[in-house]
Amino acid sequence: MTSAISIEDLTKDFPLGFGHLKLRAVEDLSLEIADNQVFGLLGPNGSGKSTTIKVILGLLAPTRGTCGIFGTPSAEVSSRRDVGFLPEAPYFYRYLTGFELVRFFGRICQVEKSKLNDRVHEVIEWVGLKEAAHRRVGTYSKGMLQRIGLAQALVHDPRLVILDEPTAGVDPVGSAEISSLILKLKEQGKTIILCSHLLGQVEDICDRIAILNRGKLILEGELRDLVSKKDLRSVVVQDYREEYNDELAGWLQARESRLVSVEQPQYSLDRVFLEHVGRSELAREKLSERAEVAKQQDTASGKDNEEKKKSS
Amino acid sequence: MSKVVFSPARINIIAKNTFLEAVRQKFFGFLVIIALGIILSSQVFRDFNFGAPELKFIADFGFGAIVLFGSVLAIVATAQLFFSEIENKTAITILAKPIFRSEFIFGKFLGVSLLLLVFTGMMTVILSVLLFWRETAIMEGVDPEAFEAGRMVAYGDIFLYGIVQWLKFSILCGITMVVASFSNTNLYSVILSFVILLICHLQYLARDAWAQMEFLPVQLAVFMLSAVFPNFQLFNIGDQIALGESIPFELGARIIGYALIYIIVFNLLAVFSFRKREI
Repeated sequence: MTSAISIEDLTKDFPLGFGHLKLRAVEDLSLEIADNQVFGLLGPNGSGKSTTIKVILGLLAPTRGTCGIFGTPSAEVSSRRDVGFLPEAPYFYRYLTGFELVRFFGRICQVEKSKLNDRVHEVIEWVGLKEAAHRRVGTYSKGMLQRIGLAQALVHDPRLVILDEPTAGVDPVGSAEISSLILKLKEQGKTIILCSHLLGQVEDICDRIAILNRGKLILEGELRDLVSKKDLRSVVVQDYREEYNDELAGWLQARESRLVSVEQPQYSLDRVFLEHVGRSELAREKLSERAEVAKQQDTASGKDNEEKKKSS
Repeated sequence: MSKVVFSPARINIIAKNTFLEAVRQKFFGFLVIIALGIILSSQVFRDFNFGAPELKFIADFGFGAIVLFGSVLAIVATAQLFFSEIENKTAITILAKPIFRSEFIFGKFLGVSLLLLVFTGMMTVILSVLLFWRETAIMEGVDPEAFEAGRMVAYGDIFLYGIVQWLKFSILCGITMVVASFSNTNLYSVILSFVILLICHLQYLARDAWAQMEFLPVQLAVFMLSAVFPNFQLFNIGDQIALGESIPFELGARIIGYALIYIIVFNLLAVFSFRKREI
């Protein structure tokens, strides 16, 4: 099966304008991103994430190496037929309404004329901007801009969606809504590449991640493999009493296991915030979806803290 | 994956959007008001000697306003509309779609050219109305005998003048597009384009010099200079019209053909330069 994105030995240099001096933004990057997954492209500022995305989109030509989308070289316009892109801090034509803007991009992507209006309504409703669809983009808040940006990226129903900092400057509720939309995109069979500094969000929704630093790939793999502590397990118990500790430790010791810690699970601040401020049905949906996952993660993090305390 | 082919429909979409963006800019409205003010104020300075000098004065004044403000609009609007796409990063969103860079450039050019057509059309109509009104007043009140042979102003030629100027502005738009396609700032594009405008107006001097030169390398250099930059003096048919001379059809057709060649060449150069630009 063809990979959604295939990058081989990609190097990108930018001339600095002083003789032959060059800035190497990306160095010998090789990546295979399989179809139908959420892939997190992470790294500090200036690590080469945006340059990599621009090379994927054909906006920059690689100095060396190759890059292809679904088997088509990025340099070809055809490679972008099945790609939706939400740029970082998107700025759109302020004088157009949300509907007109998405329609404009739909026409650029040559969505069939007979289906265009229905499709535009569909994606606008899907990103939760139905009420604001006929307002000028210039009046939109940051979160609304991100959502209309997502709508324009999806209007032609692409197989690959590239999101560069989709939650930058967005409040936790908006951020949760965008996470929920990304997961729905995955359910629809799409491949999503997510660049984000919100590692909590990446952890929640990504299947695989790659970490870049100073233009080089320093880590890549399944998120679960990278973050889970393989030799530890957490068990969440209802109505547990502290006096069980010794008995439980003995029981485990008899089975060559060791009780590391017993802690009360905690809700994350993110979750508490969403629960109290949650403005939309979407956020509430997201909360219930994440409740079980959050409990597990909180228990694990509690144990982690205990371990640190012990080691210190 | 099916191939994406060059699409005039996408050019049309970009052009319409560029035009919409342009007419919403305060700069366009400002120039229209100033140009209208200057054309309309021409009658403040009118001369009553047999009517003819007054009409010539109004025509000269109007033509001057069209040329001056049209040139400013062609350069500034092109550079601004191009760089607003780059600086606001809307170009990234558009070019990340299945669209050829040539379609983007042609769309931008056509959008600005449409803006220039609207500007020139508006100015030409206002000038014609003003001339018609003054000519009628002079015919009726001042000296009816001077108009025995009919109206003095050739209104058809005034519209031909408008078309010729629009084509000149479109060449200027193409030149600015070439400059903007490789330059990094709006200001640099505007300044360089104004310098080229000046060269194009003085280009006839190089052409004359080339004819008189004997040293071959210098002759070739001057010839190149006169070939690369269009001769904007060719578009200066306002004097003939103001003097009441009609413009021969062949001359009009030759100017239009000349302009179209330069428009195509500059657009292709802009595409060639923008093709490799890193955004």
